[in-house]
Amino acid sequence: MSTPAARLASEDFGPATSRKPEFRAWLITTLIGWAAFIAFLFFFSWILVQLGRIPVVGNIVALILILVMITATLLTMADRKWSALMQDRVGPNRARFAIIPGLRDKPLKGIPHIVADVLKMLFKEDFIPEGALHNRILFNLAPLLAFAPAFMLFAVVPVSPTLQVAKVDWGILYVFALASIAVFGTALAGWTSNNKLALLGGLRASAQLVSYEVTLGLTVVGTFIAFGTLRLDGMAQLQGMVEPSIRTAIATADSWFVHDQSVLFGWLPAWGLIFQPLGMILFLVAAQAEIKRAPFDTPEGESEIIGYFLEYSGLKSGLFLIAEYAETVVVAGIVTTVFLGAYHLPWVEPTVARALGFSSLEVLQVFAFIVKMLAVIWVMFVVRWAFPRFRYDQIMRLGWKMMLPISLVNVAVTAAVYLWAGREGMAWMGIAEWAGIIFYIGLTHG
Amino acid sequence: MDDLKFGERFYLREAIQGMGILARHFWKNLFGFRDPNPEILERKGAGVNMVSTMNYPEERKEYPPGYRGMHRLVPRVDGKPRCVACYMCATACPAQCIYIEAGEYQAEAIEKFPVRFEIDELRCIVCGFCVEACPKDAIRMDTGTHAPAVLSRPLAVFDKEALLKGPAVEYPSDVLTYRVPLRVLPKDH
Repeated sequence: MSTPAARLASEDFGPATSRKPEFRAWLITTLIGWAAFIAFLFFFSWILVQLGRIPVVGNIVALILILVMITATLLTMADRKWSALMQDRVGPNRARFAIIPGLRDKPLKGIPHIVADVLKMLFKEDFIPEGALHNRILFNLAPLLAFAPAFMLFAVVPVSPTLQVAKVDWGILYVFALASIAVFGTALAGWTSNNKLALLGGLRASAQLVSYEVTLGLTVVGTFIAFGTLRLDGMAQLQGMVEPSIRTAIATADSWFVHDQSVLFGWLPAWGLIFQPLGMILFLVAAQAEIKRAPFDTPEGESEIIGYFLEYSGLKSGLFLIAEYAETVVVAGIVTTVFLGAYHLPWVEPTVARALGFSSLEVLQVFAFIVKMLAVIWVMFVVRWAFPRFRYDQIMRLGWKMMLPISLVNVAVTAAVYLWAGREGMAWMGIAEWAGIIFYIGLTHG
Repeated sequence: MDDLKFGERFYLREAIQGMGILARHFWKNLFGFRDPNPEILERKGAGVNMVSTMNYPEERKEYPPGYRGMHRLVPRVDGKPRCVACYMCATACPAQCIYIEAGEYQAEAIEKFPVRFEIDELRCIVCGFCVEACPKDAIRMDTGTHAPAVLSRPLAVFDKEALLKGPAVEYPSDVLTYRVPLRVLPKDH
């Protein structure tokens, strides 16, 4: 309002500057918002546990339809919003639920954009290019082959002791088998589109995925050695206390705090990341390459080739996009299960079970699983936005000449340490590895 | 590649440091509140995050004082335009966006006034020559706003009623020219 010009402008448009938000109002809204978010997560966990009690279909509905689908859908917006926050932007906030009177001027953190995107994809023409007409079946099959494995993968992930679709002996092998099927989707999409750039994308995807599956498989061999099982639910049980041992611990407890007997040396949770720090980092990197997220997104490479899904439109294109987020959720779920202690709360599980009962403990465990999963997803998104895309030969060199030898050495050393000093020796090895990584990152100067 | 030191060639530390920067920005922007001050460099203080976006239609930056904004026809104190329809602005206009039709006052010292005064804001190149050419200080570009967006071309042609706005201007010499009729015209003129 200092200049006469600004005064005149305000007659037409109102004041040029809006009011600065008050600190107290900001604090209250922030606290209420986080409390509401955590309460929602608890409610969501409770809903999942209740749905899981329905026989036969309960687990499928609760985990695959609700947990993976809702998380993947929200991640499409979280990706844009979180990247905006990392890059000092506001992010998408223009779509509104204008037909609902109270929400007319509320951006709602970009949630309406999800509805807008879905509606856009639904009403786009389902276009098949002329060159793909003689491969119409394969052309239509490709998005399904990319989409379906991502969802089926979650079948073996235990979200709580009871909440798991399939408790099978070959759990982690199923993960690798289905992850390879996703290659068919991308390769088929690239080939049947009859487009040079799409074919290039499909070729890159197949080469990259096949290369990184080797590392992906080898990195978890260390955890096989540590836990002695291929079952994901078995791995989850070994990282904390199971119900019978909790009952025994409660019966013999002598104070209000029931000691968690699964912790190592009396204080360290026996989670996978304690035994296999190197394995976890390598697994995260290989998984990032396996689901074709940046910096390993040469198959998509939107600035050079548009990607293997170049010729797809409408919902088929949307399937490819949502499959990427579903794969992110699944990878985060597997990392949580194998390396981050699955659904276990650290230290307090028997105490909570005595105070609140086992059904409340299960809700808390689902909550813990979701929080850990979100944390892993967040780390994957930070990786995705921190690094520029690798060149194709750099990806191959990283995969074959760096990660594969390191994971082989990791397997050999882990096996030797296990034979020499057993499980506790592996924990000491892991602690030493963590100390080395922290020392290397934090204390040395390049 | 040869310039890199041994530690840097692992790439891991630099990678994690980069992620640390992103994480710092993320949490600071997530928990802090956004200061809508249009001067982005002045957005400082406790709890203010680093988001530097300006939500344009809701938040506007003040234009500088010398900004040549949209035209206005300067009114006299009695509300009529100061313009005497001398066509000097229309003549000076390189884009030929000013259209004037002159009329005649019956009972005033000055004789002419614009019956129609229209500016096509789509043709205008905002050079300011019309303001320089005006002998009566009747057209100015001091509104501080740009020409608004319109949905069809005819709406961008601003007529006299749309252009006549802002504070009135008068000079001591104006009294001699229009307030006091110097010659009284016969009634049947």
